[in-house]
Amino acid sequence: MRFLLRRLGFYLVAAWASITLAFFIPRLMPGDPASAMFARFRGRLSPEAIVALRRAFGFSEAPLWKQYAQYLAHAARGDLGISISYYPATVGSVIGQALIWTVLLSGVAVLISFVLGTALGMLGAWKRGGWLDSYLPPVLTLLGAFPYFWLAMAALFIFGFGLGWSPLRQAYDDRLVPSLSWAFLASVVQHAVLPGATIVIATAGGWMLSMRSTMINVLSQDYVLFAHAKGLSSRRIMLQYAARNALLPNVAGFGMALGFVLSGSLLTEIVFSYPGQGYLLFRAVKSLDYPLIQGLFLTTTLAVLGANWLVDVVALWLDPRSRS
Amino acid sequence: MPRLGGFRFGAWPSAATLTLVGALGSTPVAIPGCGGAHPSPSPGVLEIAEGAKTSAFTRNFNPLLEVGDMRWPARGSMYEPLLIWNPMSGQFVPWLAESYAFSPDHLRLTFKLRHGVRWSDGRPFTAADVAFTFELLRTHPALDVLGVGEYLRATHATADDQAVFEFARPFVPGLDDISAYPIVPGHIWKDIVDPLTFANPNPVATGPFTEVTSFQPQAYRIERNPHYWGGPPAIAALHVRAYPANDQSILAIVNGEVDWACDFIPAVERIHVGRDPLHHHYWFPAMDATVALYANTTEAPFGDARVRKALSMTIDRPRLVMVAMHNYTHPSDATGLSDAHERYRDPAAVAAGRDWVSYDPAGAERLFDAAGLARGSDGWRRRPDGARWSPTIVVPVGFSDWVVASQVIARGLRAAGVDVTMRTLDYNAWNDSVQKGEFELSMGWTLYSNTPYTFYRGLMSRQSVKPVGVDASDNWHRLAIPEADRMLTQLEETVGVEDQMRLYHDLEMVFAQQAPAIPLFPGPLWGEYNDKRFTGFPDQKNPYAPLSPNLFPQALLVLTRLLPR
Repeated sequence: MRFLLRRLGFYLVAAWASITLAFFIPRLMPGDPASAMFARFRGRLSPEAIVALRRAFGFSEAPLWKQYAQYLAHAARGDLGISISYYPATVGSVIGQALIWTVLLSGVAVLISFVLGTALGMLGAWKRGGWLDSYLPPVLTLLGAFPYFWLAMAALFIFGFGLGWSPLRQAYDDRLVPSLSWAFLASVVQHAVLPGATIVIATAGGWMLSMRSTMINVLSQDYVLFAHAKGLSSRRIMLQYAARNALLPNVAGFGMALGFVLSGSLLTEIVFSYPGQGYLLFRAVKSLDYPLIQGLFLTTTLAVLGANWLVDVVALWLDPRSRS
Repeated sequence: MPRLGGFRFGAWPSAATLTLVGALGSTPVAIPGCGGAHPSPSPGVLEIAEGAKTSAFTRNFNPLLEVGDMRWPARGSMYEPLLIWNPMSGQFVPWLAESYAFSPDHLRLTFKLRHGVRWSDGRPFTAADVAFTFELLRTHPALDVLGVGEYLRATHATADDQAVFEFARPFVPGLDDISAYPIVPGHIWKDIVDPLTFANPNPVATGPFTEVTSFQPQAYRIERNPHYWGGPPAIAALHVRAYPANDQSILAIVNGEVDWACDFIPAVERIHVGRDPLHHHYWFPAMDATVALYANTTEAPFGDARVRKALSMTIDRPRLVMVAMHNYTHPSDATGLSDAHERYRDPAAVAAGRDWVSYDPAGAERLFDAAGLARGSDGWRRRPDGARWSPTIVVPVGFSDWVVASQVIARGLRAAGVDVTMRTLDYNAWNDSVQKGEFELSMGWTLYSNTPYTFYRGLMSRQSVKPVGVDASDNWHRLAIPEADRMLTQLEETVGVEDQMRLYHDLEMVFAQQAPAIPLFPGPLWGEYNDKRFTGFPDQKNPYAPLSPNLFPQALLVLTRLLPR
């Protein structure tokens, strides 16, 4: 318990550091959001309007430390301000709308990829030299080595545009009203399959390889030999003795991967026009939407830290050594 | 650790999206049916692609919040202006107002309003609404994006059908802006506490389509205004889907999912028309603002008109228009005017400046030499002090047409002995440097309005010149020409069409003599349509309005003319 609390304290410090970075990094980018926004109007905005708009949109000329203090105070209250590129929607509502789709698509895809890759790695190592072990890793590594956007574009072109099996964009059929009906859920699944599949294909190889190599290492340990000697069933040795111990590095990696789900889906969402966080971040950076960038950093940070904390808990359960 | 990073970093997505569109064009026939997964539109419902690219819509129908994330119908189909300027005919189309007149001293502008106009909640539209709208702009300068507050003193409703605008000083061009503002209902908006954050989710307006019957982040549907003054529109409803990027909306147009759109499409004949020559059409008239090369006159030697003209003579414009603009437009002449201002063009000014907008490398050499920028022994031109003259041309990264055009310009300049380098900058960095006047050469837009007044004011007036380091939305090259200022001031007090025309011709002549900016080509207005389900779109044969749906309030002219098949 003390271990978990200590970790929690560490996470608080990390959260503060990243919230601070989220404030300063956008401000180091060239240009300022007001002129970026007004440039869209190609000079049609009157100078008086520009001055008034700067004030209205909260483009403050106050010293940076004052803005920072205000930002911290607002963030502590959960008030992330009003988005510039989606004005007058609040950052909270914009992110809220996108978050669910990212969690759904990338979260599920990363989970499937992790379970599938780890299971394949485990089986591959158990039956070393078998067909699974000989053919799958090179194939998956090859697919994973393609630039992801290329893989996604090719999938979209072949299965979406060419064969018409998959929709070309969005998260559900826009003729349907979001509800818990079968038709709507089916549409969500239909829209998520192709982008999800590309994530799984691109990442499963990594999980498989790392699981396989750790597993091979564990299998050569004396206690596995001892378990064999005791006459335990191979199923039990594989799962309880070898896999459980080999799982640790993958679980740590999974925590990281889960955290990166929020930011990592950028290319998937752009290629498949999926209305999630990644696309939002891309657009926010392009339009120098400081409040939205900060909000996205904040949610991503909290997600990464939260996922890591969960990993700590799981590692504690998997590895008794860490409990002392 | 397993590699999840693989799909977080990679080539920039715009490169990827271009590939998709390119691939699409190169295999026009081999693609089997595109039905199945792609939703087909409902009968009688016009499918529109908004100009704004987004993955999720914000429900903002506040017509005065164009600066925010405003939905297209707010000004495309809901809130109407007093008059609609039709660039095709060069005339105002009476809309909420039937006529207008200036007082002899130009200090009063009176609009006679249309009778029988009602808001979509059934209440009558009156001059009080007009007065309310302009009072709102006065009390909230942030909403007054066109800056009418600068010359407008007050607005009164002198009768139910008569609105009077009192000017603080004579400013005839103000008519263009006053008549273009969307009018909002006073009886509803008087209770809005902060119109700047008011998203107006359930609009009450005078336009043909006002009823939001469905709004999802991915798509929305607008139905007819039951009280429309022009009679019930022939179209049942408008349906707008969110397209996160251009390539997605182009795909939708090509697939026949969209009836009306405004995207730039490369090789449009092959990619778009080729898919269904009977129904897929486009019209790209060169009627948008002129694109120019700006030479910052605060940086020597660009203050010298001879140098600017010589620069211009090194540019092979026909080639530039071909490789950068797919021949969708044509080279500019020495007035710099867009095709939308054809009727203002003075043949004398065109002739006076013909030599410096024509590709003439030998003439450029002579002019550079005369301006004291002779070639050194290594062939590169030198400044009078002997240092090599090596200006930089900046261009925003991702503007592929401008990048190509800047390359053509740079090639011409280098052939003339100017050691020019091209630098691509992030859009925001580029925007920052041109606005602050901290650049040497850059392509850029010019201003566009009903008349060439704004165009020339932004290029030659003292009033538009800002010091270096201060953001300037126009006159990036920072040049003031006193005689142009005099003509512009005269125009502000001139109502007579012939007198105006004479002054415009004078301004054109000044432009042709001084070359304040180097005009390259008039920008095309992008517009595509599919007449499988609807007829009556404007095009070259029937140019009753511009085609582009992204043009407010001209889209109203088209929406009220379309007929379902």
